[in-house]
Amino acid sequence: MVRQLVALLGIEDERLALEWVSSAEAARFAEVVTSFTQKIKELGKSPLRLAA
Amino acid sequence: MNIEGLVNETKAYYCLDCGVCTGSCPVARYSPSFSPRLMVEKALMGKAEDFLRDQDVWSCLTCARCTHRCPANIDYLEFARGIREEALKLDNKGIPAHSGMFQSIMGIQTSGIKQDRIAWAKEAGSIADKGEYFYFVGCLPYFNVIFANFPSQPLDIGRNVIKILNKLGIEPVVSNDEKCCGHDMLWNGELETFKKLAAANIEVIKEAGSKKVIFHCPEGYFIFKNYYTKYFGDLGFDVIHFYDFLAEKLKAGELTLEKSNGRVTYQDPCRLGRLAGIYESPRDIINGVATSFVEMERSGENSVCCGTTGWMNCSTCSKEIQGNRLKESMATGADTLITACPKCNIHFSCAASFIEGIDIKIKDLTEMVVTAMNGG
Ligand code: SF4
Ligand code: SF4
Repeated sequence: MVRQLVALLGIEDERLALEWVSSAEAARFAEVVTSFTQKIKELGKSPLRLAA
Repeated sequence: MNIEGLVNETKAYYCLDCGVCTGSCPVARYSPSFSPRLMVEKALMGKAEDFLRDQDVWSCLTCARCTHRCPANIDYLEFARGIREEALKLDNKGIPAHSGMFQSIMGIQTSGIKQDRIAWAKEAGSIADKGEYFYFVGCLPYFNVIFANFPSQPLDIGRNVIKILNKLGIEPVVSNDEKCCGHDMLWNGELETFKKLAAANIEVIKEAGSKKVIFHCPEGYFIFKNYYTKYFGDLGFDVIHFYDFLAEKLKAGELTLEKSNGRVTYQDPCRLGRLAGIYESPRDIINGVATSFVEMERSGENSVCCGTTGWMNCSTCSKEIQGNRLKESMATGADTLITACPKCNIHFSCAASFIEGIDIKIKDLTEMVVTAMNGG
């Protein structure tokens, strides 16, 4: 549902991620966060920020 | 505006302390501690701080039942709006329904973000980028996502309006840049957010070169008609309610409808009825689409609100109001309750899904019209 709402607001789909990471998977948590942060940096400023 | 200013603006100093407001109030009926009379009295006695930190500030439905009956003509609605602005300053916020999702969506729209919200309209019929008629859709695309599991899709209302307008030979502008009308933000006490949304919408309509703006949503209609003009003066276009427009066309014989069998009753939306004074047009249309139309015990000026406004404080009290109203509609013997406001439809459908003993169809009037247009 959030994905569809975000699409209506004109925000790219890639900016939203949902991942399940258990508390025992520290390394995986770090990896998920790092790669998402990297992706967001590559995407540049969000339309929301540009519009503001 | 401070409380003193508010008392002056709403003429609260004329209060007779008669209690007609509290006696008429659907909220007070189920939450006996809630009293509009007491809030007015306290504001008059300079004791507003007694209630400004209370949730009561947020419980009012702004349904105008009290205002309509107040013998001293006090504008309780403006009073309710004003005390919310004051309450926010004290960090007293209401409890937003759906965890504040709607408020976030409305807030995001104050930025210049480029929405992608009209794909459905292109599929429903023919629409234009520029032109005389502008169809102001309102929040339906967002509602359609949030209430996807409801029996009727909110966007069907939009689709129906476009189909009916097309049938009348009108290709309305439906814009990707339309924003939330700001109604809920205004009643949530967020005047500045409202003004930003309003200014952007006026611009969008001007750019489309439209001179006639058609609303199905009573909230959008009411807010443009009364508050856009209050804050922005002459808008340079006409604000028209879809049902007034359609009723005229029916009278002129520009559209023929086939009635369908069955008995129907009708919920007057507060904003369309008491607040905008539109009672006849929807009834004229209903009489054109249904063979048997019966009024509920409390209808027209006496109609009862659908239980929540502005996506705020949806409570057990709301559910009591809704359940009671649905039972009242069933008592007419009708098989269908016709709604004229997308939110009434959503709120009643929600209540009907879990309150026991509710057995009545809930349909938007546009759905009945489209069926009747295609031969009943
Ligand atoms: S109905 Fe009007 S005059 Fe009577 S108590 Fe309420 S606000 Fe005062
Ligand atoms: S506007 Fe409606 S809900 Fe609010 S105090 Fe008046 S009667 Fe009650």
